[in-house]
Amino acid sequence: MYKILVIEDSETIRLELGELLSRYGYTVEAPCSFNNIIEYVNSGNPDLILLDINLPFFDGYYICREIRKKSQVPIIIVTSRDSEADELMSMNLGADDFITKPYNTQILLARIFSVLRRTYDHVKDADVITCRGLQLNLANGSIMFEEKTLELTKNELKVLAYLIKNKGNIVTREELMEYLWSADYFADDNSLSVNITRLRKKLNEIGIGEMIETRRGLGYILE
Amino acid sequence: MSKMGYLKEKLLFLIINSIAAFALSSFLYFMGVQSYFILYTLCVWFFPVLYLLIYDYIRRSQYYNHLLGSLYDLDKKYLLSEIINKPDFVDGKVLHEIITATNRDMHEHIKEYSKKEREYREYIEAWVHEIKTPIASGKLIIENNKNEVTKKIEEEFNKVEEHVEQVLYYARSSNTSEDYIIKKFCLMDSVKNVVRKNSKSFIYRKIKLNLGDLHYHIYNDAKWVEFIINQVVANAIKYAKEEEAQVSLYAERNQENITLIIEDNGVGISKTDLNKIFNKGFTGENGRIFGKSTGMGLYICHKLAEKLGLGMNAVSDKGAGTKISIIFPVGNFSTMD
Repeated sequence: MYKILVIEDSETIRLELGELLSRYGYTVEAPCSFNNIIEYVNSGNPDLILLDINLPFFDGYYICREIRKKSQVPIIIVTSRDSEADELMSMNLGADDFITKPYNTQILLARIFSVLRRTYDHVKDADVITCRGLQLNLANGSIMFEEKTLELTKNELKVLAYLIKNKGNIVTREELMEYLWSADYFADDNSLSVNITRLRKKLNEIGIGEMIETRRGLGYILE
Repeated sequence: MSKMGYLKEKLLFLIINSIAAFALSSFLYFMGVQSYFILYTLCVWFFPVLYLLIYDYIRRSQYYNHLLGSLYDLDKKYLLSEIINKPDFVDGKVLHEIITATNRDMHEHIKEYSKKEREYREYIEAWVHEIKTPIASGKLIIENNKNEVTKKIEEEFNKVEEHVEQVLYYARSSNTSEDYIIKKFCLMDSVKNVVRKNSKSFIYRKIKLNLGDLHYHIYNDAKWVEFIINQVVANAIKYAKEEEAQVSLYAERNQENITLIIEDNGVGISKTDLNKIFNKGFTGENGRIFGKSTGMGLYICHKLAEKLGLGMNAVSDKGAGTKISIIFPVGNFSTMD
């Protein structure tokens, strides 16, 4: 489990972001006092820092620079300042990524995931997700079931990964499409159906059978 | 300063001189002074008078013509007092003092206004950044408590966000703001960001998206360009048809520019409205029918585009769709890579 440090002065955001991130399997720490923030960062050993720019005592730029003097921990700057100048400044100070508020949560999660993957090689382990004996390898886009493997296309992979992450819940077509769009696959109704059909065929081939169920008028579910 | 004008002004002086000279010479004549002596007296009288007049004319005309010339040449006329010399004749000095004093006052005035304008813009920008935090927390709360009600609230939040963004860019589009940064970026990335931003509308309203070849590199401010594209795409969605709606984005490489084209098959714009769509506050026929139009979006886009050196134009067929082009000029600098 990765530990994410949220440095943010709005209490609501600290709470809600904490809830969201822990739902996605991260440990979250969010200090509410900022006068010793640099010592806090150095002693806390987080795996990733989400850093706001407008803070009391020191601004985020200062904190970013100070952290970089001692540590290479990945930093994602989250700010409402959205100009090119702010983005350049953040990158020059050694931040790994830059996201503007208000953010789309799917995009925020995707950015966190990709920064973590870039930084820690062993995240590769987390690239394999399993469900009912089916192994889905996100790194090379293959599925494995009882020694049999099969390659998936990039888009089929995205669909299956989202369904597995939400297993036990009904996923509406719209929700699935929203996720796909946030991952740069701008699927329309038809291409989603095509992908689901192909995915089912491949799952059948590999021998796991009817894994994706259709709930008429509602969406898909993976039990 | 014309010679005739100058003479006219000195007419009284000349008449008085002539009358006095006439009176003197008549007096001398009746006194029995010889005529060549009278002539000599008149010469002695008029030579300095004429000399002075000519000297005075040259001096003044030189000064005033120079002044007028500078005035015509100046781009910003109120800077006149900065470049003129102080004359050495008395009414010129008075004029010089007046010009300098009024200009100084004008400068103070302009300074005050630009300061006020800057302060106002800075406040608006700060406010926009402030308001984004509660919007962000609101959206997070919605994300953590998904249901039918919060879904509707989220839609409203998105509208708020859109309006706030518009305010920010309106402040940025004012003439005194120069805070853009030109750098190289790919048109595809900007378009993708815009599409992602509007993904919900595309998905729920079942609007088909077609992305053409957009792998062109452009030198400009990516954020501002994204705002412009976003406004146009948002309009395409707003005025989309109920059935089989489509929005296409593609780019064309021309000799002197790269043109991004955003084409929809929506309601279109009538001929009478078409050349007014970039005007401030213009809502037109569609604005009246569909409501929710402030007439600011395209106006701000156009202003931003002007500042960034981009062209924008619109072609539309009522009922068949609209095609907006954003033209990125390609100079020698942009093709260096």
